[in-house]
Amino acid sequence: MKRLGCISQISLIIIAVCLMVIPFVYESRSTLILLTQIFIFAIFAMSYDILLGYTGIVSFGHAMFFGIGAYTTGILLQRQEPTMGIFILSIIVGIIISVIVSYIVGLMTLRLKSHFYAMLTLAFASLFQVASEKWRSLTSGNDGFTFRIPEILIDRSTFYLICLILMVILYFMLQRFTQSPMGSVLIAIRENEQRAESLGYKVLHYKIIASIIAGATACLAGSLYAASLRFVNTSVFTMDTTLDALLMTIIGGVGTLLGPVIGAGLIEFAHHWLSGLAEKYPLFERWIIFFGIIYILAVMFFPKGIVGSIQGWKAGKKLKKAVKVKHEKKIAG
Amino acid sequence: MDTMLKVENLQTYIGQYHILQGISFQVKKGEVTVLLGRNGAGKTTTLRSIMGLNPPSQGKIYYQNVSIEGLPTYKIANLGIGYVPEDQGIFKDLTVEENMKVAMKKQDAETIDRLEWILQLFPDLKKFWKKPGGLLSGGQKQMLSIARAYLNNNQLLLIDEPSKGLAPIMVEKVMDSILEMKKETTIILVEQNFMMASTIGNQFYIIDDGRTVYSGRMSTLKEDEQLKRKYLGIA
Amino acid sequence: MELMLNLIINGLATGMLVFLLAAGLTLIFGLMDVLNFAHGGFFAWGAFSAVWLYSLSGSFFVAIIGAIATGIMLGIFTEKIIIKPVYGNHIQQILITLGFMLVLTEFIKVVWGPNQMAAKTPEFLTGSWELGNVILIKYRVFIIIIALIVYSMVQIALKKTKIGLIVRAGVMDKEMVQALGINIKKVFMFVFIVGSAMAALGGALIAPYSGVVYAEMGMEYAILAFIVVVIGGMGSFSGSLFAAILVGLSGSFMAYFIPDLSLAVNMLLMAIVLIFRPQGLFISRG
Repeated sequence: MKRLGCISQISLIIIAVCLMVIPFVYESRSTLILLTQIFIFAIFAMSYDILLGYTGIVSFGHAMFFGIGAYTTGILLQRQEPTMGIFILSIIVGIIISVIVSYIVGLMTLRLKSHFYAMLTLAFASLFQVASEKWRSLTSGNDGFTFRIPEILIDRSTFYLICLILMVILYFMLQRFTQSPMGSVLIAIRENEQRAESLGYKVLHYKIIASIIAGATACLAGSLYAASLRFVNTSVFTMDTTLDALLMTIIGGVGTLLGPVIGAGLIEFAHHWLSGLAEKYPLFERWIIFFGIIYILAVMFFPKGIVGSIQGWKAGKKLKKAVKVKHEKKIAG
Repeated sequence: MDTMLKVENLQTYIGQYHILQGISFQVKKGEVTVLLGRNGAGKTTTLRSIMGLNPPSQGKIYYQNVSIEGLPTYKIANLGIGYVPEDQGIFKDLTVEENMKVAMKKQDAETIDRLEWILQLFPDLKKFWKKPGGLLSGGQKQMLSIARAYLNNNQLLLIDEPSKGLAPIMVEKVMDSILEMKKETTIILVEQNFMMASTIGNQFYIIDDGRTVYSGRMSTLKEDEQLKRKYLGIA
Repeated sequence: MELMLNLIINGLATGMLVFLLAAGLTLIFGLMDVLNFAHGGFFAWGAFSAVWLYSLSGSFFVAIIGAIATGIMLGIFTEKIIIKPVYGNHIQQILITLGFMLVLTEFIKVVWGPNQMAAKTPEFLTGSWELGNVILIKYRVFIIIIALIVYSMVQIALKKTKIGLIVRAGVMDKEMVQALGINIKKVFMFVFIVGSAMAALGGALIAPYSGVVYAEMGMEYAILAFIVVVIGGMGSFSGSLFAAILVGLSGSFMAYFIPDLSLAVNMLLMAIVLIFRPQGLFISRG
């Protein structure tokens, strides 16, 4: 049995199965919608983890790809027929666009120091945001537009299951990627870029690949997001969206893939729950400050986040046990 | 006090690399102690460890019997230790005057006198007084760096490869200035130029793979061809 | 001709405001190697404090001083609590300062509510001067003058004072400054405060210029400031002035002819600089 973070592979599969059963036993529509949002954001956050947790790249423009996915799906479904075929086409087109964008942007900016990259991705994302506001003919600007989605997806349970399955598939796919030789190179780059370079790896090349994969995954999340809301507006391109990914990944645990999933769950639950409270107590409207502070504390003291810290703690225990066993063996023999 | 500096079993890491794996040596007051060794042996790191720029993870450093390892760099400098780094550390866009001013702690008569004396020793600096440090030639930059370290009446100077990249005539000038300063200051010199090292050095330590492996008086090293070949790659 | 002049004054005014924000960023980065993503927060807080104080006291002077004080206090807090603990680790710094930016922005909404506030121009600065058949809007000229005064003051401090010397030396070689016996960490706090005060001043000045203040303005102007810092060169104080003027002018002209592209043109400038001269236009490092 493979040890995977703090929960073994089998336990994960059990959890996934339980999640699959939920729509059949639990009828609450709002719960299904909330969980679907969690799955969608889990995909988004995992994509961010590939950049931050595995390659060590801090991007402040991840919303770009999310937005590209959302708008591509929205625009195609609105202008063409709302069929499954068009929906899948929109996902493919979105991914193609985001691959091109991440390649061009990556080529220009990934060779620079981390500070520059962060600034530039911020600037590019804001460019997309401004463009989406101004290009009203395409996007209807700030107001956004609604659109119909394919028949099959209208049923909340079906959509729920699709998102869940996609999340699980992507989790395992991304996991395999990080454990592949290419994934190991990315981790090496995160640990010590100069060393990786001196070992002969074209670091820029690998960073761009990571960026493309992360972008494509985020784009998919964006498409699903638009479909779940049946509405898209400029908010998908805002800093808030990127911040969501940041918070989820860091608080959940960078570099674990599981962490961002948990982070997504935490934050979306909190959002839902606290927004409810906000109606009674206006103070809770600023709930995000709470997460902002946790995030700051996490970056300062628990850079590994929840999952990472548990992993570390368990690894520490294991190490202590191993040392103890060795010590006892020494005494005995 | 006879021993100016005492270093015991210094261990220093740079990132995950264990650069210094046991450096020990002593520096007698008024002498020029030379640290010799191949490229990458750890000589520069030793100086930087003493200065606190790469603090040691283990080991002791005693300056005039006071332990200084772990202190912040500026405190170590203020105890009277001057540092002339390998790349001279000249502030390129500041004038020669400004470079000296950064080093100047007090503006009193004693310091002004000292400055005068240094400018006599290095007349080129006076010529380029108002020009940016970046415009100086390699040799002049070296002069400036040494002058700056010497300005504050430092009792110990750490000088890292001053002759590197210099024309022989400049090397001579550097040697002369060090001999002049030796009269009032103790010097630790890292040098690959064996001619220079053997001419002005009194005591030597050979560093290999991050450890001090050999030591002795310079006079004996000059004769020992085997030693020179083994550790210094000099045939 | 009149149009030209207006566009120029407009561009200069905007440029000066971005300069106030960018100058602090560039010095902080040059000296401390810290890119402060929360810098825009000082700007926004400066703006809100100024508007609030003005509405309370009726005195523009009080508003400006209050905003600067707010900037200084926020600067001290940020340097000590947010930046110091993650010193030396770039990734942590970038992440943490952005998180703090979020907190700062949201806190504005806690204190002043989520809606935008209207900002009035003080009496003595409203209106315009007429020189022949040219009309100069008073407030914009005021902004330009104040910013130039600040620039001169800081420039003099940099060139003629010991601490300015240490800052200039530290931007070039932090380690050497320490090796010369100077505790450069003390200078960090000083530079950080000067930067945050300038940012807050910028925010205070822009409030009447744009007429409204809103929490997101911090990030919006911060992005422009980043563009300026890249074009001018990280660590170059004068570079940030010239780059800011360039950005301001190009934005102003573009806003007149093709308004939708004003941000894009500045980003294009930045992209060009990045490709051909990534150290910035005013840094001699090569």
